[in-house]
Amino acid sequence: MLVKDVMHHPVFTVGPEVSLEDAYRLLLEKGIRHLPVVEGGKVVGIITDRDIRLATSHLNPKGPCPGCTQVAEVMTRGVVTAHPLDPVEEAARVMRERKIGSLPVLEDGALVGIVTGIDLLDALLKLTGVTEPSGRLEVRLPDRVGELARLTGFLAGRGVNIHSLLSYPENGDYVRAVVRVNTLETHLLAEGLRGQGFEVLWPPKKPW
Amino acid sequence: MVIYRDEYRLYDFGPNHPFSPVRLEMLTSLLEALGVWREPLAPPEATREEVLSVHSERLVRRVEAASRGERVPDLEHYGLGTSDTPVFPGMDRAARLLVGGTLEGARRILAGEKRVLQLGGGLHHAQYDRASGFCVYSDLSVAIRHLTRAGLRVVYLDIDVHHGDGVQWIHYEEKEVLTLSLHESGRYLFPGTGHVHEIGRGEGVGRKLNLPLEPFTEDESYLEVFEALVPWALEAFQPDVLVVQAGADAHFLDPLADLLLTTRAYARLFPLILQYAEAYAGGRVLFTLGGGYSLDATVRVWALLYHVFHGLPLPERLPEGWLRTWEARLGKPLTPTLHDPEGAYPGIPRKGEIEKRNRLTLERLTELVRPYLLD
Repeated sequence: MLVKDVMHHPVFTVGPEVSLEDAYRLLLEKGIRHLPVVEGGKVVGIITDRDIRLATSHLNPKGPCPGCTQVAEVMTRGVVTAHPLDPVEEAARVMRERKIGSLPVLEDGALVGIVTGIDLLDALLKLTGVTEPSGRLEVRLPDRVGELARLTGFLAGRGVNIHSLLSYPENGDYVRAVVRVNTLETHLLAEGLRGQGFEVLWPPKKPW
Repeated sequence: MVIYRDEYRLYDFGPNHPFSPVRLEMLTSLLEALGVWREPLAPPEATREEVLSVHSERLVRRVEAASRGERVPDLEHYGLGTSDTPVFPGMDRAARLLVGGTLEGARRILAGEKRVLQLGGGLHHAQYDRASGFCVYSDLSVAIRHLTRAGLRVVYLDIDVHHGDGVQWIHYEEKEVLTLSLHESGRYLFPGTGHVHEIGRGEGVGRKLNLPLEPFTEDESYLEVFEALVPWALEAFQPDVLVVQAGADAHFLDPLADLLLTTRAYARLFPLILQYAEAYAGGRVLFTLGGGYSLDATVRVWALLYHVFHGLPLPERLPEGWLRTWEARLGKPLTPTLHDPEGAYPGIPRKGEIEKRNRLTLERLTELVRPYLLD
């Protein structure tokens, strides 16, 4: 999954000379939180609803003046950006490390989209979601070559189709695999997997 | 009125498949042995056109071709020829027989009958354009559509342990159909859907209700949320008829799922449903069967349904002869009483937490749909 698959476009932008009042009105109107600031076709900054609210509150030492303050005075310069072909997880890592809420997406210097935290939540929903009728298996695999292949091979041998597969490291030595399969009979699969020495976490073995 | 014909047992995916026609054979022979079986109404099979009232032509064409043993390259795309829903000769007619029974139930309701028990069907996973999870055609949706086309408002209540996804999606945008499914959470169980936030679309918004329950939910917690939710929704929606999918796989012995209902919960649920039908739907109710993969438990739950449906006193012990015959045939012991023995499964350590989670899910659901249901 790439940034271009989750980003929004076209992007609403403002010029640096626009007043905070007008910028805020645009945010409200469009129901968004981030506005890249564009001058002469280049992204020169970014301004958020939070920047504007802070700048126009009594916490601002110069006092609030939404009508007479320009975007350029408040915006963040040196904007962190993404490329449409960046993997989504790379965008997520940058946003997490810098603690920022959005990345303007640039291609050859031109603004082609924007990706926000909400878009990344959508990506998470897509990655973990259920798009086909399916049951769920959760298996703890030793973190070594061929274990996942052994699991998927077992499922293929049972004529079971895999709709989605999510895996993540666990405690260093293990990998947790969550597999959605096109069958109601996950208990039967779990039993078979246990017979092959797999540690199946879901569905559980019934004690009766 | 009971609807049934022996040919329902043609709907058979093979000897090792859990959706087994043996369930019907066991059930009817048990009711005979108990001396309560009365000649049921034998329904006609549904026609192709009737099936097409809720399914796509291209799905039906593929079911027909597979039925004749023809090779169809894109079967899997339509949910057919999978390990869950394999194809078999005569599949199309076998499925239309079940549809015919439930549809006949709907016709009888329109003709003035109050209570109908269709001893078959309940194929709630079948979708407009695909077979799924043991279900080829949706007998339920064909019947529901027949009722709504006659101008009735329908509540579809689904107590099968799996989400009634097929019925929900087919009627997702319809305002005259309220679907209400209680099931084990799709986070764990097939088909994976049935979250509280699936509440319908367009005119159907707020009229599709899902109560996903925690694995290992027991009688008490199930009944608590059921009794809070179902009458509330029925009173708000004011249906003309109730269609009930009475799958028996929420029973603790079920090998495919993880809820822990006992026969005691069902002995409370079925009278409650009849009571709700009286109070909120003019007494009109159409029951179908559904899932249920422990032969032992499923047959007892449905025998219980049959007795409650007819207002008969519940038998305590099952007939010796019947038990001997079936134990020999299945090669394993059966529960000798209609009810499960007390303390049939060990205590669940997370009981309190499970009850709390179910209550919270109920709260979320009612908060989500209240503005639409009570407008």
